[in-house]
Amino acid sequence: MLLETKGLTKNFGGLTAVSKLDLQVSEGEIVALIGPNGAGKSTVFNLVTGVLHPTAGKVLFNGRDITGQKPHTVAHLGIGRTFQFAYLFADFTVLENLVASCHLYPRSGFWEALINTPSYRHKEARIQTKALEILKFVGLDKVKDELARNLPHGYQKVLGVARALAVNPKLLLLDEPIAGMTREEIYFSLDVFRKIRSQGITILLIEHNMECMDLCDRVIVLNFGHKIAEGSSAEVRQNPEVIQAYFGRKNA
Amino acid sequence: MGGLIGLIVLLFLLPMIIQQQTYYLHVFIIVLIYIIVVSSLRTVALSGQLSVGHAAFMGVGAYFSGVITRELAISPWLAIPLGGLASMLVAVLIGYPFTRVRAIYFSMISLFGGIIIVDLIMVAQKWTGAAGLANIPLLSPINIPGIGNITFLGQKLPYYYCTLILTLVCLFILYRLEHSRVGINWKAIAQSHMVASSVGINEAYYRVLALAVGCFFAGLAGAWYAHYTLVLGTSTFGFLPSIYLVMYMLVGGQKRFAGPIIGTTILVMVPELVRSLKESAPLVLGAIMVIVVFLMPQGIVGLFDQIRVRYRKSNKRKVTESVAGN
Repeated sequence: MLLETKGLTKNFGGLTAVSKLDLQVSEGEIVALIGPNGAGKSTVFNLVTGVLHPTAGKVLFNGRDITGQKPHTVAHLGIGRTFQFAYLFADFTVLENLVASCHLYPRSGFWEALINTPSYRHKEARIQTKALEILKFVGLDKVKDELARNLPHGYQKVLGVARALAVNPKLLLLDEPIAGMTREEIYFSLDVFRKIRSQGITILLIEHNMECMDLCDRVIVLNFGHKIAEGSSAEVRQNPEVIQAYFGRKNA
Repeated sequence: MGGLIGLIVLLFLLPMIIQQQTYYLHVFIIVLIYIIVVSSLRTVALSGQLSVGHAAFMGVGAYFSGVITRELAISPWLAIPLGGLASMLVAVLIGYPFTRVRAIYFSMISLFGGIIIVDLIMVAQKWTGAAGLANIPLLSPINIPGIGNITFLGQKLPYYYCTLILTLVCLFILYRLEHSRVGINWKAIAQSHMVASSVGINEAYYRVLALAVGCFFAGLAGAWYAHYTLVLGTSTFGFLPSIYLVMYMLVGGQKRFAGPIIGTTILVMVPELVRSLKESAPLVLGAIMVIVVFLMPQGIVGLFDQIRVRYRKSNKRKVTESVAGN
């Protein structure tokens, strides 16, 4: 099991955002986490990546307990993530976004950066190459010198995914990766996700879009912090509890 | 690059140009010292932390170096870097517990931190003097092979050259840092601390690092200032001077390395140049600040960027086409 949560719970004051959640993602899967607004999907991501600390429960990554680790440590362990909003460094160019994101591999220290040693320069050159490779992989290499803020919305999100790939992730957490995209941008992104999967990277994503769901091996449905259903996208769509969560109870 | 070398050569020839007039040399020395301080303030600001108590860290360096040279008879040449380190230590001690405090809240902490530091300097009267610290030792004579013995007693010229060299070295180090991986991380954190930590950048470490580096250079410049003016009063390092430092940086432009240099040069020199206006002189300074804030929100340096952008067409559509055309 690549990612596992055991009894994961988060209370914000009196509100329980995530309640005793048991979640399993195995290697090579694409899993979708869905649910109505406020179901606690993004909170799960923040708990896994250490942005928030759980009230109770555990997060295991590759069998190792990572509960309560700092976000930068979690990145180091091999979890890349994107955000629903503010997903990139807006004042950097596309290439600079990737260069800044390649902080961990290869890694350099304060003094070698200050003195500008040959080994430091070599590492920075490798980072440039790696950054360009990732941009080429997601198909953004043609706009590498544009300011990130000038990209159309959809490609900004793709850049967010590219940025997350820079930490050499085993697991990628994508928070609404195609929300608000145009049709072409969605196809563009889905292609990218397929390519990422073919690299053997596991993906856990939050999404509402059905086309994205069909890409997934498994769908997990949350409502008010509880897991209410799990299965293939077709199974989940038939599940009465899911229908009720999204559309309400049918009145006679 | 050619322009930069020309500027440096000009700065080295400057004493000849102004015919070594003591008063103007003094003004240039002060400008150079403050260029270090304001550039160090910008270094802290690179990581998204706007300090409004930076003058106090200049004060820590100045008083530390002034006191230890007086009390322990240490050579000023050794005490000046120690002053920088003392300031850095104080900054880390104050900054480390507050790494969760961001943006305007950081500014508030820096404001209180600055006020507390100046108060502590005043409380420690036994060492820092009831009516200011006087009789700070001069820089001791140094012997540079090829140039000979240099003494500083009653001389502005050696002070000018030494300050110029110090400033150039400090600026070089700050420039290198900004354009290295360290600077990239600082700027990344300033833009989004969430995204920065999601790619493995240790936000707390890099923010304290920015504070440490910035306050080291502020303390260093302060210590140098102490052994130049030979007299210190706490009013030089209080809240208002800290605000002036921020003004120098914003008027010059925060986005670019040259911003603090241009802002400091203009705003330190203007009051001296319009001294003949007597009590209405501050009006000129105020007018410059108002004009800059209204017409050049990115500072004087930012004005050049604005002009450049205006002559380049918006290329959003081009971007879409070139991605979609893949």
